[in-house]
Amino acid sequence: MDRRRYFLRKIANALLTVIIVTSFNFMLFRILPGDPSRLLLPRGSWSATIIAQQKKVFHLDKPLWQQFGFYWSDTVQLKFGDSFKERRPVTAVVGPRILPTLLLVGTGTVFAVIIGVTSGVLAGWRRAGAYDTLSTGANMVFYAVPTLWLGMIFIGIFSARLGWFPSGYMEVAGASYASWWEHTKALLDHMFLPALTFGLGYMGQYHLIVRSSLTGVMKEDFVLTARAKGLSDNAVLWKHVVPNAMLPTVTIVMMNIGFIMSGAILTETVFNWPGIGLLAYQAMQNRDYPVMQAVFLLMSVAVILANFIADVMYYYLDPRVQG
Amino acid sequence: MIPARLKHWILIWTPLLWLLLELVWYPKNRYVSQGVWRILGGFIDGRIGSYPAWTLLAAAMVFLGWGIATLLKDVKARRLGVVITGVGALLLAWALIAGGLPGWSPGQRSGSFGWLFQMALLVLLACGVRVWAVTNPESAESMVWNIREVWHLFRSNWLGILGLCVLVVFVLLALLAPFLAAHSYLSPNAMVTKPFGGPSFSYYKLFGGDEQGQSILAEFIWSARISLAVGLVATLISTVIGTLMGIGSGFLGGWRGEVGMRTTDVFLVLPWLPFAMVLAAAWGRSYVMIIVIIGVTSWPGTARLVRAETLKLRKLQFVERAKAIGSSDSHIMRRHILPNVFSLIFANTILVVAIAILSETTLSFLGLGDALNFSWGTMLRNSWASGAAGLPEWLYLLPPGIAIVLVVLGFTFVGQALDEVLDPKLRKREASENTRPSAPDHAQGAADAGLVLGPSGGMVVADALDEPPSAGGLS
Repeated sequence: MDRRRYFLRKIANALLTVIIVTSFNFMLFRILPGDPSRLLLPRGSWSATIIAQQKKVFHLDKPLWQQFGFYWSDTVQLKFGDSFKERRPVTAVVGPRILPTLLLVGTGTVFAVIIGVTSGVLAGWRRAGAYDTLSTGANMVFYAVPTLWLGMIFIGIFSARLGWFPSGYMEVAGASYASWWEHTKALLDHMFLPALTFGLGYMGQYHLIVRSSLTGVMKEDFVLTARAKGLSDNAVLWKHVVPNAMLPTVTIVMMNIGFIMSGAILTETVFNWPGIGLLAYQAMQNRDYPVMQAVFLLMSVAVILANFIADVMYYYLDPRVQG
Repeated sequence: MIPARLKHWILIWTPLLWLLLELVWYPKNRYVSQGVWRILGGFIDGRIGSYPAWTLLAAAMVFLGWGIATLLKDVKARRLGVVITGVGALLLAWALIAGGLPGWSPGQRSGSFGWLFQMALLVLLACGVRVWAVTNPESAESMVWNIREVWHLFRSNWLGILGLCVLVVFVLLALLAPFLAAHSYLSPNAMVTKPFGGPSFSYYKLFGGDEQGQSILAEFIWSARISLAVGLVATLISTVIGTLMGIGSGFLGGWRGEVGMRTTDVFLVLPWLPFAMVLAAAWGRSYVMIIVIIGVTSWPGTARLVRAETLKLRKLQFVERAKAIGSSDSHIMRRHILPNVFSLIFANTILVVAIAILSETTLSFLGLGDALNFSWGTMLRNSWASGAAGLPEWLYLLPPGIAIVLVVLGFTFVGQALDEVLDPKLRKREASENTRPSAPDHAQGAADAGLVLGPSGGMVVADALDEPPSAGGLS
């Protein structure tokens, strides 16, 4: 398949999925059992004029098919209405939460990929060796551990017992820092435990995947050929085995990066990290539907975007796609 | 003698009628929808003698008896009989997990069915199996042979055995919960210590008390039920949807296959956790909803696995032969494709259970579960909300978490071991392969047996890697 057709098809696919997911988002809040005006309007405390205004914002006074049209034009313009809880535009509530999540998830992912892939390669290369048994055992445990529990255990050990790291939040409330360096240090201090918690689970996953895909590749004929040519162990491993074993890993990593916005809900909740995940949790607790709607859309679009990037990368990584 | 057409109608109408009767029976001062909800909710209700548990038992008995009667009477209808007996057995197992063995537990109401009655049910079930075996000797023989072979290979995998042992312990814990801790210790005012009271050597204080002074041990024991039941039932839903979608979209092709694929893709990219949170906020909180959410969001992985396998099988000769003699699509899918992907599905299902249990923990932790029943996730939520991590209150934090890790690892080990056993390509023992009958006719013969070791294509691990993972994974 030539390049243009491949990319056009992938773009069309991604756009179609975005359209489906966005429509799904509409249905989720309006067609599901329960009165949409009950779901999308705040309860109790607001005055009738504000409710009427809110009703207008969501176009709940019009028939469903017109609502659908307005929903699309509003979504394209990023108009999501006002948050019930904070009583200001949803974009203003969601906006500042994006960066902390990217920071946390980015750090955690980099950590997980580097450690997980390296350890997986080493374990798969000497399968059933002492290192393999030990590291694979440990990583299976990390894979099976619920993130939220790991986070609580870390808080218990490192902040309650030892007092090495703060137990939550991104910075000390109301603190002003002497220099940007002090600020960064405080930030890193706060980020260490959440990033570690977030990264360990994925690390286990990457280790296991790299290891098993390495084992599969090492049975292939071309590895035997490479050995027969008299290449050193290192050359066989890094030039022949690892590049071929990386494809499934890239898939999984990209999938996980797609869940970048939603992946950290638990970590952020446990550590009170002021990101999108915590916002989603708080919005659920407060039944803040406008925020939930925007967050859900943001999380879905992130997944689709990451999948599209993965497809683009595949084109360059996997010659079979080009052929 | 009931005509076959009528039998199918009965199969559909009996549960509906039963539901209707339930509603009629239900207290008049409640709304009907509340009644439906209560019945559905009662399926996983931990409370003994609670209303739906015994109706489940009754339904189980009806189905079992009917199935056995069908088996006895009419050899041609044996498939129907097997289905009905199977439904009965499932209901019985469910009732046992959800309702426990009432009557033996201390301090419980005595109005529920006694253990003798349940023993009678078990005997009936055994009779049903026996009758089935007598009426279908060749299927029974092949099934026994299969199970023996699987067990023979499984036994040599020490990790699988380890996982199985762990699972047996926890399943026993769940089933025997009424004997291990009185349910009354879970009610909100049943305090055994002061808040966060330390452990002591009295039975209910072994792990100390939680933030209200309730027995952590009792909560822990009863939590096993909900955690396991939710995981298993959600997996059942997920597997059924995934298999149908996978076989359907793989075998049918054309626009139907395309729609199936597209749906799978959308569900694969759907961020399931926020989705669940939205639904929970809209619908309220209960374990039924957790089950539905996990079931509905975790099937795409299975669907893609099954689809890849179906695409491979579709090109094989025995499918072509079936087509050539004029078999319908649905017949081929049921009798030829399904038996051959069954071993793949079976191993995958056990791995999905592990993920489902983790998902249940996550959702309960976020507070989507029923506040009155306990699962390990709920316990973790309570400990987190009450600040047990900051104290730190280890005896409150550790037991549920360790239990989850052990159960998840147990299912993973068993699943992987089964993967190796059921998948000829991964199998270590080459010798045993020579004694196995050749694939297609063997698959045909054992189709009735349900468990088929036919050619699964040997691509379980490789397929799992080529396909993106299920959306309902860890997060």
